[in-house]
Amino acid sequence: MLSIGLRYCGGCNPQIDRSRVVRDLKKALIKMDLRVDFITDKERTVDIILLINGCIHACLEEEYLSSGSNLQCISVKGEMVDSQYVEEDHILETLIKKIMGFYNRSGPYSS
Amino acid sequence: MTMMTGKEYIESLRALNPEIYFFGKKVKSIVDEPMFQPHIHAAAMTYELAHDPEYEEIMTATSHLIGEKINRFTHVHQSIDDLVKKQRMMRLLGQKTGTCFQRCVGLDGLNGVYVTTYDIDQKYGTNYHKRFKEYLLEVQKNDWMPSGAMTDARGDRSLRPSEQKYPDAYLHIKERLEDGIIVSGVKAHITGAINSHEIITMPTRTMSKEDRDFALSFAIPADTKGVTYVFSRQTNDTRRLNGIIDAGNPKYGIVGGEALILFNDVFVPWERVFMAGEYDFTTELVEVFAGYHRSNYGGCKVGLADVVIGGSNWIAEAHGISKASHIVDKLTEMIALAETCWSCSLACSYEGYKTPSGAYHINPLLANVTKLNITRMVYEWMRVAQDIAGGKIITLPTEKDLENPDFGKMIEESFSGKEGYPPLDIIKMLRLIENMSVGAGLPESMHGAGSPAAQKIMIARRSGIDIKMELAKDIAGINQNKHFERIIGKDEKMHWDDVKKRIKEKTIQIY
Repeated sequence: MLSIGLRYCGGCNPQIDRSRVVRDLKKALIKMDLRVDFITDKERTVDIILLINGCIHACLEEEYLSSGSNLQCISVKGEMVDSQYVEEDHILETLIKKIMGFYNRSGPYSS
Repeated sequence: MTMMTGKEYIESLRALNPEIYFFGKKVKSIVDEPMFQPHIHAAAMTYELAHDPEYEEIMTATSHLIGEKINRFTHVHQSIDDLVKKQRMMRLLGQKTGTCFQRCVGLDGLNGVYVTTYDIDQKYGTNYHKRFKEYLLEVQKNDWMPSGAMTDARGDRSLRPSEQKYPDAYLHIKERLEDGIIVSGVKAHITGAINSHEIITMPTRTMSKEDRDFALSFAIPADTKGVTYVFSRQTNDTRRLNGIIDAGNPKYGIVGGEALILFNDVFVPWERVFMAGEYDFTTELVEVFAGYHRSNYGGCKVGLADVVIGGSNWIAEAHGISKASHIVDKLTEMIALAETCWSCSLACSYEGYKTPSGAYHINPLLANVTKLNITRMVYEWMRVAQDIAGGKIITLPTEKDLENPDFGKMIEESFSGKEGYPPLDIIKMLRLIENMSVGAGLPESMHGAGSPAAQKIMIARRSGIDIKMELAKDIAGINQNKHFERIIGKDEKMHWDDVKKRIKEKTIQIY
């Protein structure tokens, strides 16, 4: 099973509905029959990190970059995913593409 | 890497030969024209302070292109720290000149075009960004001051650029050649235009497919053939020709020394063209540039506020009223207003973000709020400055009458204030307050970097109003809220049924 370390920013003034992004992603992955474990416990080992920043300032990136982690990271920041502008409605498909890319490169994952 | 001093900058202007008109005459030498000198001195300060160890920390940066020390006015922001230092630089220069030092427009043009050309290339596979980086390197190496020419003359504003009766109301491409383009049109109220080394043009508004030829950005030397400048008038501008004191700020002038730029069949080589028809990126370029530029106002105008607050306090002391409670209250009000704007400018920088190009941009919502506050608060603190200074700021006699051998001395003595405040100094300070609070600086605060309506459009667009409605629905009880349900330990509906029941039973205790 692919494990995704899920990190939320504080969401002080979000430009997107952060919970909806994650909710929709989980639903879509289930629909695709992809077994993914979303983990919010920072102590647990994961395969990739998903940063959910409510706005483009991306508070989480600062923390992640300074942690020196080598893990692959996908960063949603407002209406951007990594360094690409996407509309809020296209965040989901962009995330799926990125997760599938990682899955295909590194899978299969056992449960 | 050259970093010019203030004096070297002024001398560098002598090498240029732009065609400039003022008062119906062609200006022979920019540097020697007394009407231009205060503006040139203000711009020169952006060069001079970069050489002072006391200020170099914020006045200089490290070029991300070649890793060398450069004047921050030629830098593309590489971090949040760069954005914050840029704001500190704005305030500092406002404090040191008491007016507009002009060079920030070009800085914002460099950053805006840098960010946008990267995105255009990503979509269309063009090579604008590479071209622009080569240009930027030239700017950094030569420590040039480019003017940022965005606002077009705009003609009939109910019509799109391509629908105008006179196409020159907007700068546009007239012809596309193998080696470049021919452009024509008029850019209006361009700050620092006559004393800049280069011009960077940008579109003034969102363009549609029909406006393709108006979706245009390029950079050319200021004295390119076919470019003519017509210097603008300002309130009390010719006072600087009549003496020193009456001008109020004889060293640095009022606002930026704006000019019309007329482009009459000007040739621009392709290597200096950064947008030519990509109308779908005009909104981005306008918004990115405007975002940077609007954020600046919370720096530079607060620097001006520092000067006018200091001047107001000095005048109150000279008049012997500085301890009066209403004066203390007014000065405190001015300080609070100014620091509110400063907070906004710092906030939009600290809340900035990394663009796909790698350059950092300010938070656009907060930058527009910053500028909207400036359109109001500058008027307010200048109003208070006038209040403290008194009616003399608009009724003082001329400098020449003060020199009259028969009654000059009598006037001077009658304006004596408290011991230690020479009357001529009092008059100088009153003239400075007049210059700053009555002159062109006020409408400049209103319209520079865009009028209030433009800021409100951007604020409305980025307000996140849908999310705010959800927040209100949560609190009002229209939505069920999971955290509230966790606190009460049950479903909201059940909880409220319970509450109703207990109210009916007159049992106050719910848990």
